[in-house]
Amino acid sequence: MTQYAGVDEMPESQRQKQKKQTRKHLITMAFNQLAKDGLINTRTADIAKAAGVSHGTVFAHFPTRDALLTEVINEFGARVTRRLHELAGGGSVHEILEAHLKGLAEFEPFYTRLVREGSLLPESARNTLIMIQSAVSFHLSQAAEREMAAGIIRRLPMHLLFNTWIGLVHYYLANGDLFSPGKPVLERYGKELLEHYLTLITE
Amino acid sequence: MMKICIACGMPMENPADFAMGDPDKDFCVHCARQDGTMQSYEEKLDSLANFIVRTQGLDKQAARDAAKGMMAQLPAWKK
Ligand SMILES: [Zn+2]
Repeated sequence: MTQYAGVDEMPESQRQKQKKQTRKHLITMAFNQLAKDGLINTRTADIAKAAGVSHGTVFAHFPTRDALLTEVINEFGARVTRRLHELAGGGSVHEILEAHLKGLAEFEPFYTRLVREGSLLPESARNTLIMIQSAVSFHLSQAAEREMAAGIIRRLPMHLLFNTWIGLVHYYLANGDLFSPGKPVLERYGKELLEHYLTLITE
Repeated sequence: MMKICIACGMPMENPADFAMGDPDKDFCVHCARQDGTMQSYEEKLDSLANFIVRTQGLDKQAARDAAKGMMAQLPAWKK
């Protein structure tokens, strides 16, 4: 980056700068609106309204609704994986799962939409979910291998160790309206789920 | 300063995260070959798909398709 800094930081025209800002603003507002109304149901007109721009402006920045959706989901995936990595690096199984819950809790409304509606979304959205899971399974499998070898947790197939945890967390998230109406699910049940899961896998 | 591996997207913070432990590298320790060069597209696709199958239990072809989709987002393989 250093030797090219001069090129990178060439003064942008006012118009370019504004275009970039509007695009960023649209992504933020779309993120909030999608978390609120759902990935499938949210209309681009509602995103435009929330962002305070005309409907046409949305399409000046994103050729299709899918293009906007994909961009928002990709950006979300990058943020969550970065955060999970930050929280989970090098810890024990217990610490990694705790970090996982903490990371998800920060993004609970949008993540829940992704879990609930994932199979109905374009392939790129599903890939983002798998990418997020990969960040978790990467840290979990490393810690689990260590702890299986040390006799701390039971010897279980790695994918079942992971899917049993994900299945539990996702079930509560997907049915949040039943488990915790109007309130974040992970805040209310996260600790209980974690303790229960650890009891299951501990040697 | 944190960098993102151009080949797999993993955030790299500590020297040990980087190929050859060298923070000047743009790819991570998991994307490096023995000699320190970066894995090819095919090598990375294989290892990523195998990793998904092993740790998440996906069907082999589904894992490969997902890995392709994820790699298409990364600077090293973006077309
Ligand atoms: Zn890598």
